[in-house]
Amino acid sequence: MARLARKPTVAAPEAPHVHSRPFWSLRPRSDRESGDAVASNFLLHWFPAKAMKPSMKWTYSFWLGTASAALFLLLIVSGLPLMFLYIPSVERAYASIKDIEFVVTFGSWLRSVHRLSAHLMVVAVALHLVRVFFTGAYKNGTGRGQRRQWNWVVGVVMLLVTLLLSFTGYLLPWDQLAFWAVTVGTNIAASVPAVGATVRELLIGGRAIEQPTLIRFYALHVFVLPALLGILFVYHMWRVRKDGGLAGGDREALLAEAAPTAVAPGKTYTLLGVASGTAPTVRVASLEAPHRTVNAVPDLIRRAAIVILGCIAVLSILAVLLPSPLEEAANPMITPNPAKAPWYFLWLQEIVTDTTVHVGSLTINGAFLGGVVLPGILGTLMALWPWLDRSPARAAGVWFSPERRTQNAVFLVLLLLVLALTIVGTFLRGPYWDFYWPWQSWPEIPARI
Amino acid sequence: MSHPKDRREFLVKMGIAAGCAGLAAQAGASLRSLVPNVSYDAPTTVKLGMPGDFPDGLKYLPDQRLFVFREGNVYHAISATCTHLGCTVRAEALPQPETVSVGGKPTRLTHRFLCPCHGSKYTGDGQNVAGPAPRPLAWYHLELAPEDGQLVVDLAQEVDRDFRLATV
Repeated sequence: MARLARKPTVAAPEAPHVHSRPFWSLRPRSDRESGDAVASNFLLHWFPAKAMKPSMKWTYSFWLGTASAALFLLLIVSGLPLMFLYIPSVERAYASIKDIEFVVTFGSWLRSVHRLSAHLMVVAVALHLVRVFFTGAYKNGTGRGQRRQWNWVVGVVMLLVTLLLSFTGYLLPWDQLAFWAVTVGTNIAASVPAVGATVRELLIGGRAIEQPTLIRFYALHVFVLPALLGILFVYHMWRVRKDGGLAGGDREALLAEAAPTAVAPGKTYTLLGVASGTAPTVRVASLEAPHRTVNAVPDLIRRAAIVILGCIAVLSILAVLLPSPLEEAANPMITPNPAKAPWYFLWLQEIVTDTTVHVGSLTINGAFLGGVVLPGILGTLMALWPWLDRSPARAAGVWFSPERRTQNAVFLVLLLLVLALTIVGTFLRGPYWDFYWPWQSWPEIPARI
Repeated sequence: MSHPKDRREFLVKMGIAAGCAGLAAQAGASLRSLVPNVSYDAPTTVKLGMPGDFPDGLKYLPDQRLFVFREGNVYHAISATCTHLGCTVRAEALPQPETVSVGGKPTRLTHRFLCPCHGSKYTGDGQNVAGPAPRPLAWYHLELAPEDGQLVVDLAQEVDRDFRLATV
C-alpha cells in the first residue's frame, strides 16, 4: 500500500514557467520531461534539448573540449585549498610550498592534482585545437548565420590564456625553475625594440625580480587569468550552441539535402478504393528528426559526466603516483645548468636559441626574433586560418577531408616541427644547452664555481 | 531646423559617450596604479673589498653577478649576465691559459664563459663567439675608494675593453 501511495497522482498542472520539483530528472519519462530538464536547470541550460547523433561520437571529437573544461574545473577546485596554504611572498613562498608538500595532510596530493591537471590541460587544449583543425570544424556548414571562424579565434586565445596560466603558476613556488623562467620570460618581452624595457618593468613591477613580481604573477594566476578563461569558456560554449552545434552534425544536413526523398510507400484510402503508391507525401528534412537526434538529458549529459568523472578519477590516481617536484630555492646568483623550461615551452626555448641572426654589422637577438616575432606570426596565422581556408562547406566537420589535404599537410608539418623541437629540448639538451644524444652521458660539471 | 528626434538621438549618444569616457578614465587610473613610480634598486656602486685580497686570475662575486680579474696589480671587471636573455654565465677554466691582445693590451685569458640557458659562449674577455648571444658581456668601470682604498665597481657605467685599473 505504501508503494502505491507514492505513485504519482494526478496533480494540478504547474503554472507556466514554474518548475515545482527541486531538481530535474536524469531519467526523464518523456521528451517533455527531458527538455524540461535543460530549460529549468541553470547548470544544463547551455545544452540543447536535442543533440545530433554524429556530434556525440567518441571518435569525432574525442570529447577533448569537455576534457579541457573538466581539467579547468579540477584546477579551480584543487587550487582553492592551495590558496589557503600558499603565501605569495618571496621570503615565505618556497617554505609554504615545502609545507604543502611535507607538512600539510594531503597537501602533496592536492599540489600534484593541481600540477598534473595543468600539464594535462595544456595537452587537452592543444589536442582540441588539433582535432578542430583536422576536422575543419572551424568552418561554417550550410546553416545561415554561422560564425564558427570567430569561435576558433576565441579558442586560439583560450590556448594562449591556458599557457599563460601555466607560466604564472610554475613561478609561484619561487624555486630555481620559477626565478629563471621569470628572468627569461620577461627578458623576451624586454627584447622588443622601443617598448620592451617598459613592458618588462610593468610585468615585474620594477627593474629587478622581487616581491612586486611575485604578487603580480600571483594576482594574474589566481584571479585575472582564470576569470578571463572562464568568461571566454562561457562565450565559447554559447557560440558552439549558436553555430548549430558541432560541425560534425552539419554533415547530416548535407546528407539530408542530397538524398532524394523517395515517395513514401503509402496507401490512400479513397471513396473508390485503395490506390497504392500514389500518396501525396510531405518532404520533411527536419534535422531534429527522431532518428538523427537523442535527448540531451540523459544521453549528452551522461557522456559529459563520463568524461568529467573520468578526468577526476584519472587525475586523483595519477596524483597519488606522481608527486610534484620542487627545485632548490630561488637563487638569483646561480642559474641551474642546464636551465630547462617545462616541456610545453621547450620548443620556444629551442627557437630563441637558434634564431639570433647577424646581417653585416646588425645583430637581431634571438630573444626578439624567436621569442616574439616567430610565435607572433604563428599565432596570427592560426587565428586567421579560417579566412585563408577556401575549401567548400562540405569539408566542414570531416576528419582529414580530401578537400583540405594541402592545409592539413601544412598544419601537420608545423605541428611536427613544434613536436620535434620539444623533443630536442627535452631529451637532447644537456649542460650549457649543448647537444647530447640520449646514450651520451653528460660531463661532470661542478654545481658551483 | 533640427528634428526633436535628432536631438534625442544626439543626447543618447552623448550619454553613452560620457559613460564610456568615464569608464575608460577609471580603467586607465586603475591600470596606471600598476606602473611603478619608485624602483627600490640595489645601489649600482658597490665596494668589493681590498684589491690585495683578490686572487690572481678570476674571482666570481655572486651578489653583483660579476667577474673580477687580477693580473699582478691590474684589474678589470666583466658582467656575468648573459646578453641574450639574462641568465648567469659560468666560468670554465681553459686547459691552457693564453695571452692575447684585448683592447690593445696584452691580457692573459684563463677562462671562457658559458650560458646554461641557451648555450651562448664567450671568450675570456667577454667576446660572444657562439650561441644566440647578440653582444659581448659588459665590462664595468672599476676604481679605488678614496677613503679606504677598496675596489669599487660602478654597475651603471659600462666601459670599453681597453679599460684597466692599475694600483700602485
